[in-house]
Amino acid sequence: MSNTDPNSQGNDPVNKDKNIPPWKRVRTFKSEAPGLAAVVAVLGLFIFLLADDPFGVNMLAVALLFAGLAVSWNIVGGLGGQFSMAHSVFFAVGAYTAANLFLHFQISPWIALLPAAVLSAAIACLISWPVFRLKGPFFAIATMAFTEVALALAMHFTSITGGARGLSVPFKAGLENMIFRQRWSYAVLMLGYCAFSLIVMAVITRSRLGYYLQAVRDNESAALASGISVIRTKLAGMAISAALTGMGGVIFVMYVRVVDPASLLSLFDIGVKIALIALIGGIGTIYGPLLGALLIVPLDLWLRAFIGGKLPGGNLLVLGIILILFSLFLKQGIHGAIKSTWTFLMRRKL
Amino acid sequence: MEQFSNILTLGLLLGGIYALVSVGLNLIFGVIRIINFAQGEFVMLGMYGAYACYSFLGIDPYVALFLVVPVLGLLGMAVYWFIMRPLQNESMMQVFASFGLLLVLQNAVLGITGGLTYSVNTPLSNITYGLGSIQISLSRLIVLIAAAVVALVLGVFLTRTTFGQAIRAVAQDRKGAQLMGINVERTFMWSFAIGTGLAGLAGVLLTPIFTMSPQIGGNFIMAAFAVVVLGGLGSVLGAFIGGFVVGLTEAIGGYYVDPVLKNAILFSVFIVVLLVKPSGLLGHAGAEEVGLREQH
Repeated sequence: MSNTDPNSQGNDPVNKDKNIPPWKRVRTFKSEAPGLAAVVAVLGLFIFLLADDPFGVNMLAVALLFAGLAVSWNIVGGLGGQFSMAHSVFFAVGAYTAANLFLHFQISPWIALLPAAVLSAAIACLISWPVFRLKGPFFAIATMAFTEVALALAMHFTSITGGARGLSVPFKAGLENMIFRQRWSYAVLMLGYCAFSLIVMAVITRSRLGYYLQAVRDNESAALASGISVIRTKLAGMAISAALTGMGGVIFVMYVRVVDPASLLSLFDIGVKIALIALIGGIGTIYGPLLGALLIVPLDLWLRAFIGGKLPGGNLLVLGIILILFSLFLKQGIHGAIKSTWTFLMRRKL
Repeated sequence: MEQFSNILTLGLLLGGIYALVSVGLNLIFGVIRIINFAQGEFVMLGMYGAYACYSFLGIDPYVALFLVVPVLGLLGMAVYWFIMRPLQNESMMQVFASFGLLLVLQNAVLGITGGLTYSVNTPLSNITYGLGSIQISLSRLIVLIAAAVVALVLGVFLTRTTFGQAIRAVAQDRKGAQLMGINVERTFMWSFAIGTGLAGLAGVLLTPIFTMSPQIGGNFIMAAFAVVVLGGLGSVLGAFIGGFVVGLTEAIGGYYVDPVLKNAILFSVFIVVLLVKPSGLLGHAGAEEVGLREQH
């Protein structure tokens, strides 16, 4: 990840001292952008190469969607240290907003992205504002309880959600409907979503809000004492994170075209899964969740295809073991493991 | 009126189930503050253990208790030693690790049984008592009585015995307890083992009532956390009462509002209690901070 652009050094307000070598400078979004563009270009190349392989391109599409979701979760969960398990609620809000607007008002999902994001962010602020005073595991448990409440409500309000039978979106292919005949178009769509999430994450990480979030995560009292409004910081992080997750829900519903409350809101399927992808990739890092999704989603699909038939639940069994091993031995995730191997190798060279 | 007393009885019996299922979690999460989302899976293992004893050894589930509870205690010891002990100060990693354990246990059982559901009949499971117009099955009554007995014994154990006091001491201040000559890790391990053993006890006693499936633990886990937090972290009496609060809320909400919405009502009550009094109904003020403070 080289992230220095020699032309941008002159007018960089953060790094005024030109004697500091480029890799030791404080990173800004400007210095992050070329690396980000390169990552997106490589992923685009992968889609191009896999375009004729339906299994491969589907796998990549789902992996990129979950990468985008995990990146969004990482804004409040990783940077802010608020381990929300309620992100499936925002995801479901996005999905149901788009499905209802499309089914009843023939509104294009592209337009629905905006109300979905706004509604998800509003609901996120509303439900997380009171629970933000809970700390650590109590926050996680309370947000899980929200998922249970949302599941029950989704089953009850059948006019919006279709109840247990779910909603299905008719197949009307067309760019304006976000429904495509070729699977690679979905992969491109999800790459776009993932890239957007990465850009938002990169901007936030290198901005005032990002540093505020990290300060709140590392020591809430110290952050408060330095004049940071803790609750406002947490709410801002949560709102942005939820808005992105809601947009992911819109894309998801147009991709699978059938959604029911159980598949959107059961604890493991979305809410915990995106958190664990972020954990496995590297909590609080920009690219960690992308790495996590590119590892976990293909592994999950591959295991489901090849051992799921012989051993029911075999894929989840393996995922469970991976999760235990990562939480015991690789707390910094894949990103952290790569980074420490890199520094180890560099040190030996010198 | 008759309808109401029917619902009340139903709620109380349901409360007995919740109180029994959460008593182990109360020790693990309420007292020693280890986050264990796999607790429901230990209940599930208890149920399958009772089934295995019944079908392979021909032992009645109520007798199988003496085999299943120690085995689950040993399993709990291993889980504590290899997974929870290294994560002692990292509550969020405990969340993830125990989720991993949940997936492993659930899907191991799913793989072994091939997803078939089982149920166990004992000679006792068909006996019912009439109380006016209400029919109460003996197996549900046993659960209710067992919940009361276990809560009483656990309460006395934690407050009146040296070992019980040691458990509370290590939860409050690890270093202080160590200086008083308590073997901290062994105390944690035994507490965790007792907690999983109690989950096994609950599982065995629930076999005559529920049809078992590998996913059944999921029905208990959120409710159990609600019970423990509602009742008051670390308070055995609180968790016992919390079980009935949850059971009655579910029965009354399910009947008078909408069965689909009972979980929404239940967890809304839970969130409100968590916000208004995070230490729970009978917990000491500040109890929610114990064990989460930095230990040196």
